Amino acid sequence: MEMEIEMVEPTEGWGGGGAEAVRSLAAGSSISVRYHSLFGSHDDMLLLEVDEKLLHDVLHHRVTIRGQPDEEAVLCTPSSTYAMKFVGTSNSVLLIPAGEPTPSSSNGTCNGSETNNKAVPDAVASVIKVAPGYMELTQAAPRLDKLKSLLNERPYRLEEDLENDVWFKRGLYRWQDLVEEIQASDQELRDGLRSLSAVEVDGYWRIVDGKTMDEILNMILTNSVLHEWPLNALSENEVVSILEADGFPGRIVLHCLETFGSKVENSGSNLWSLDEKRVCLHFAVQILGGGKMKLEIFMAKWMRSIPSGMHGDLKMLEGEVLYEKLGVENWIHAFSVSDLPSTPAERFAALFRERPKWEWKNLEPYIRDLHVPGLSSEGLLIKYTRRTQPNADVEPIFSAR
Amino acid sequence: MQIRIRCNCGEGACAEWAIVELQGVVEPQPSIGDQIQGLEIGRLCCTSSSSSSQGSYTFTVGYHELTGSRVSLKKPLLVLKKMKAAVDGDERGTELEVIAIIRHKILFKSRPKALISRPQIKEKKMS
Repeated sequence: MEMEIEMVEPTEGWGGGGAEAVRSLAAGSSISVRYHSLFGSHDDMLLLEVDEKLLHDVLHHRVTIRGQPDEEAVLCTPSSTYAMKFVGTSNSVLLIPAGEPTPSSSNGTCNGSETNNKAVPDAVASVIKVAPGYMELTQAAPRLDKLKSLLNERPYRLEEDLENDVWFKRGLYRWQDLVEEIQASDQELRDGLRSLSAVEVDGYWRIVDGKTMDEILNMILTNSVLHEWPLNALSENEVVSILEADGFPGRIVLHCLETFGSKVENSGSNLWSLDEKRVCLHFAVQILGGGKMKLEIFMAKWMRSIPSGMHGDLKMLEGEVLYEKLGVENWIHAFSVSDLPSTPAERFAALFRERPKWEWKNLEPYIRDLHVPGLSSEGLLIKYTRRTQPNADVEPIFSAR
Repeated sequence: MQIRIRCNCGEGACAEWAIVELQGVVEPQPSIGDQIQGLEIGRLCCTSSSSSSQGSYTFTVGYHELTGSRVSLKKPLLVLKKMKAAVDGDERGTELEVIAIIRHKILFKSRPKALISRPQIKEKKMS
């Protein structure tokens, strides 16, 4: 669209009236729209679309943009993560800043005739920039896969000696380091650390080495037999002091109790109850560490390893093991949901690499933790799988789309 | 790496900017060159204001007239400006400062109407 327009004296500052003059323009009044004296591309200025819920967090300094230069940026509130996407427009979006208020918001009428008050200077709406578009926010799942790989760089081991370690800080991360590295809100990051059973040791967040956890758990179980401690009422002080005497750090012993148990409510003297499922699962995973084995051999070994008073059940192993029939024999092998990627596309790709066809009862434990805002589990299946069901009596089979 | 978004104005006190949105691109005459600062684009006129706050507007740009209305944005837009964050003279990376909020726009979504029509050619009378 072309226009014939004449040059006028540039208006200083934000220009009289500005956005306020545009907003309060009365019926029958007009205002001059001009290029601001500072008009330009202003690449340091951008528009961000936010809903009212988010606006409150932004205006109260509770929002950050996170990500490395090679990552797509995300916006994080204290509890949620939002993907940021630039939405361009082919329209001309003229951005008019607030200006200095003038005695009158306009000095023209729509037909161009003068107003009565000739002394009032013309109110001007000055365009500072033509916006090429805006940033749009979409709630997204936190990107926590990186957290696992960072913490696995250097798991905590009992025999480590940080004081005399030349590489003292290499592969170790404080809370602030994780905030800088991980694209997740603070709350989601805390939840991620909890799901990885991470523990803060000397200011650094660590995953405790499996061998160490196994050693401490076995010590707790051995001592529970020696001292006749009930597994559903372990005294924190007693457990920690006895294991500390054996050379185990108190903080790691306590972490072991947190990992395999939970505090007994209303127990004045800090009692812990070991969780049957978590303890049994630990021993099952340990047995399957060597690879695939026959189901009956596994069951025999598993039952022998489970502490007395606890009962193992294959239902406990949902999302941790897979079964397959080879001839007449049933085999079992470890396949943990916690080792799979957290993004849906990568998760389904990993699942179909493991097995090209899945029955729903086997697939469900491996996708129930996938949370994509605005997409149900049915939606995920439609998007990432192909469902086949020859007839209504047969279980549906899911394969790669 | 994280970039903090800060707001010095506080809730309810943010400067409110305006948007005038029109279809297509506004292009100055080639004779004007690059020095368009201070140049008048056109005249915005409020032709009526209804109770629904969706008033009618015209925007006259040269010989073109556009007709539009005031639209409330479903989601507000924040105007952010990149700032160099400094502590004791040390540059500490980038911060984004909220400098304004936009809750409405005046939208001209129809094509412009020409204000000057072509002169009519009189038909010759047949003798």
